[in-house]
Amino acid sequence: MTTTSGDRAAELTDAGLDGQNKIALGRLLGTGTVGYAEEGSDGVMRATIRIPEDELRYDPGIIVFPHGGEIELTLINDDKNTHCAVIPSNGDPKFIWLVNHSKGTAKISLDGPGTYYYSSNSGNDEGRGLTGALVMGGEVPDHAKQDRPPQPRP
Amino acid sequence: MTDYVDAGEAIPHAQLSAVKGSAPATGNVDYDRIRNARSEPANWLTYYGTYDGQRYSDLNQINKDTVKRLSPAWVFQAGAVGMQSGASTYSFEASPLVVEGVMYVSGPDGRAWAIDAKTGQELWRYKHASPYDVSLCCGNVNRGLAVGHGKVYMYTLNAHLIALDATTGEKVWDVTNGDVRAGESGSVAPLIVKDMVICGSAGGEFGVRGHIDAFDAQTGERRWRRYTVPKPGEPGSETWGDDSQEAWQRGGANCWVTPTYDPDLELLFQGTGNPAPDFDGDVRPGDNLYTDSVVAIDVNTGEIRWHYQFTPHDLWDYDSTMENIVFERDGRKYVSHADKNGYFFTLDATNGELVKVFPFVDRITWGEITPDGKVTPKVYPDEEGVPVHFWPGPAGGKEWTHMAYSRNTGLMYIPVQEVGATATRRRREFKESIPYWGAGVAVDIEDFYGYVAAVDPLTGEEKWRWRNEYPMCASTLCTAGGLVFQGTPTGEFVALDEETGEKLWSFQCGSGHHSSPSTYEIDGRQYIAVPTGWGGWIEGFLPGLLGAAAGDALFVFALPEV
Repeated sequence: MTTTSGDRAAELTDAGLDGQNKIALGRLLGTGTVGYAEEGSDGVMRATIRIPEDELRYDPGIIVFPHGGEIELTLINDDKNTHCAVIPSNGDPKFIWLVNHSKGTAKISLDGPGTYYYSSNSGNDEGRGLTGALVMGGEVPDHAKQDRPPQPRP
Repeated sequence: MTDYVDAGEAIPHAQLSAVKGSAPATGNVDYDRIRNARSEPANWLTYYGTYDGQRYSDLNQINKDTVKRLSPAWVFQAGAVGMQSGASTYSFEASPLVVEGVMYVSGPDGRAWAIDAKTGQELWRYKHASPYDVSLCCGNVNRGLAVGHGKVYMYTLNAHLIALDATTGEKVWDVTNGDVRAGESGSVAPLIVKDMVICGSAGGEFGVRGHIDAFDAQTGERRWRRYTVPKPGEPGSETWGDDSQEAWQRGGANCWVTPTYDPDLELLFQGTGNPAPDFDGDVRPGDNLYTDSVVAIDVNTGEIRWHYQFTPHDLWDYDSTMENIVFERDGRKYVSHADKNGYFFTLDATNGELVKVFPFVDRITWGEITPDGKVTPKVYPDEEGVPVHFWPGPAGGKEWTHMAYSRNTGLMYIPVQEVGATATRRRREFKESIPYWGAGVAVDIEDFYGYVAAVDPLTGEEKWRWRNEYPMCASTLCTAGGLVFQGTPTGEFVALDEETGEKLWSFQCGSGHHSSPSTYEIDGRQYIAVPTGWGGWIEGFLPGLLGAAAGDALFVFALPEV
């Protein structure tokens, strides 16, 4: 067995893991770009997600939020096929249908910290690459912490 | 390029389903009503059916004579969408509650439903978004809801206690009660007492400090928190003898199963979990109070009135979180507890005095407990890298799944697991959110069996046992129909004669049982409800069935309508 090291994106490209119908059938999950949400003065965190043509992925594939809370996503389908998104949200997941060349929004509420995956539940969009991550940073409130000295973390 | 087509705003997923969106308003479920739950057997108002934890119903339409005609009335399929945490360990472990024809039940991955208990129609649903990467020692599970004060209460995987409107499922309040970065999580069914909601923590396998909390049922404001590991200077702290005085900070003793309660004594009987690290006792010398104990907690203040420790200085992962059933005999009030360590304990409920202790499993090698309660460890992982085999294994002679007490016979009906394990001590440093076991553990995958045991809690006499090829990993339910219901790991739901253990009826549900069935009545017809779905901590309690089919269906049975 040989291993590689160095630039992760280049490694994925070299291996044919970051696209459709290269070495594998679909795109390896979790290989997209990383984006960062912006928090508005109203406390709502906002980000825009696109589906590029023929790539069957959300871009950015990973969006980092500073903490949990209220979120507004703009979703744009630049593909020439129809997809959708089922996005976790407290209460009930939110669903949006994204026909070719369409644009919509999703207002969701998520706790932090933690990672949530959303996907297009049409055919096997999820397996081909249309699975994205919403990553909430931050800490739980002080009242939720244990009464003990600070502990080591990995 | 043309302008984008307007895709609009995302809508709730349930809007694309047949879910009705609301449930009928029921009569108010308050403290007095739950306290007197035995007087209204048509409903299953609280986790155990009644505060005493007996899991006994006075309903008798389904009985020894009629049970052979018991048939499915409806089935509810939980299903899943997208990626969820513990994707291979989800399990439907709840005990369904029923109030005047409306069933409230929770499932894996933060889901709760109101269901028409007569027809199975989904009335409303709520799904708490659960982080995919939340620390879960034992699977993506939830053990149930509490209903009262016009609300439904649930403790989520990411340790939020939430209150929902009972008629709409809309969130009323949400309190963060645990630190997911430290490995805390939630799976317990909350308990309503007076104007409070009681809720215990989970996460002992990650070296957290266990606690149980009481909240104002209307506002979510915390009334009290009781840590089940004392810090230096508090009573019991002398049982944590490490020189560095760090072990208590990660001591475990989580309260991840619903307590029983006695309204006269105003005591919660809370079982506590294992110490952390589970198998490496050298880093925490001493008895390690209040791990592996029952603590009797004053519900008004959170103070511990008395405690009894079942396994001092545990080295085998013998949580004692499971129920402490309250019952009376000849004017004296008792609590009974079948522990993971293979011994059955009956205590005086007023002061914790040991009344009776006896083994309820066949194979106990870890140690011995004498009739007067003296504990002598014999086999344990004390040498680094040396495998040690012991019975019962870390899932115990009985896991969290509950025994039941028949008010007909005065017997306890215990779901028994006969499974051993090998642990090899491997010391490791503590780091928040990383499993903190202190050993490698392999549970036996070939040598196992199980049974339901009918046992007298005061004499220790076993009246009968119903033996099964596989261990019993689900709760028992007793009814005035003279029946004991039990689900098996291979999917059968069986009814046993409470006096003889004879199997009178069974139905194959298609996936194993790891839940707590309940019973109720609507329009004069009795129903038995049982969530099914093999999952959870299978590698701990029955790895021999790790390859069995998963599932997440709720079956409801009744006699055919004439």
